[in-house]
Amino acid sequence: MQVVDWNIIIKEHGPVVWQTAYRLLGNDADAADCFQETFVCALELSRRQRVRSFPALLIRLATTRSIDQLRRRFRHERIGTNGHNQLEGSNNNTDPVQYVQQQELAARLRIALTQLPLQEAQVFCLRYVNDMTYRLIANELGITTTAVGVILHRAKTKLRRFFKASIKEPRSEVVL
Amino acid sequence: MKEDEKILEKAVKALKDENVPSGPSQELKNATINKLNRVSEQPNTIEFEKQLHFSDRLIAIKSLAKFAVAAVLLIIIGFAVGRLSNPQPPNMEEIQASLEPAIREQLLGEIKQYMQLGMANSYVRLKDDLTEQYRRDLNQLAANVVNASGTVTNQLLQDLIETIDEAQAKERQWFTAALEQIELNRRQDKAQLGNALASFAVRTEDELQQTKENVEQLWSYTQTDGLVPNEFENSNNKN
Repeated sequence: MQVVDWNIIIKEHGPVVWQTAYRLLGNDADAADCFQETFVCALELSRRQRVRSFPALLIRLATTRSIDQLRRRFRHERIGTNGHNQLEGSNNNTDPVQYVQQQELAARLRIALTQLPLQEAQVFCLRYVNDMTYRLIANELGITTTAVGVILHRAKTKLRRFFKASIKEPRSEVVL
Repeated sequence: MKEDEKILEKAVKALKDENVPSGPSQELKNATINKLNRVSEQPNTIEFEKQLHFSDRLIAIKSLAKFAVAAVLLIIIGFAVGRLSNPQPPNMEEIQASLEPAIREQLLGEIKQYMQLGMANSYVRLKDDLTEQYRRDLNQLAANVVNASGTVTNQLLQDLIETIDEAQAKERQWFTAALEQIELNRRQDKAQLGNALASFAVRTEDELQQTKENVEQLWSYTQTDGLVPNEFENSNNKN
């Protein structure tokens, strides 16, 4: 059994987990829940198997938990662009219109991610939100780098379709 | 396509550029550490589950063995009871005598029922056959009657046509004869009329000549009396 000092782990990798969860969820409460669940999951995993890279594991777990949380929220609340909790503390240097547009796009991306299959959403977030390499993603998910590319391509195609449809029908909920 | 790609890139960029408050807070860290401590204090569920599975398996094997022993005992007891309570071989004559009337009666009943059923079936079949035959005969008879009546009708019509033709021929002959007679009469009348007119003309001329002479004679008589009209004389010269 691997001996881990969780105080150090949380101190070193907590901010990354927090940022990952907060970016995907967009509010404090959900991000906090996700934060705790991520570390509990990591603890259980470290009991079963040896963890080679805690940052990658924690980012993957945080991403997975965040997507799960988003899905639950989307199912329960059927969140739309208007129902989503806006981020606190806008940047004062940006144009308000541009800021609103960015918020809208981010909210739409969150909705689209909930409608992707879990693995595709996971790979997409790890690659484009957390900037992980193909090899790192493949190692974390236990698949080949080719498979990562294929999954990523599928995810992007579906997301493009979602955005195209959402542009045509901005008020309606688009299902992939 | 490029536009969609751009929108997706923009959305990802927007998501990445969102302002994330610094965190996690110290409270969250402490709460997480407490939760991890609580979880780590719990026994390892996997090993416990493995042990549980092994003990469950042992209990299952024991109960299965007990059940097998009980089943074997029950089979042995049942076999022994069956052997001991084996009945004596039955008397076949008595059985035959007791069963024969019942079987005979049942057989008779079945034969009767079978016969009734067969008769009913044959009656129905015969009725259907007769009906079919009767219908065929009637159709045949009707066809014959229609044919015969048609022949007679045709013969009668033929006779009628011949009679009418004969009558028409006779009528035409009679009519021709009448026309010929009329023509002959007309010619005779024409000839007589011509002759009569010729004789009438001759007579008229004679009469006129006679009248002229008479008038001249009359005139001569009157001339002798001294009266000589010039005009009358001139007119005679002209004629």
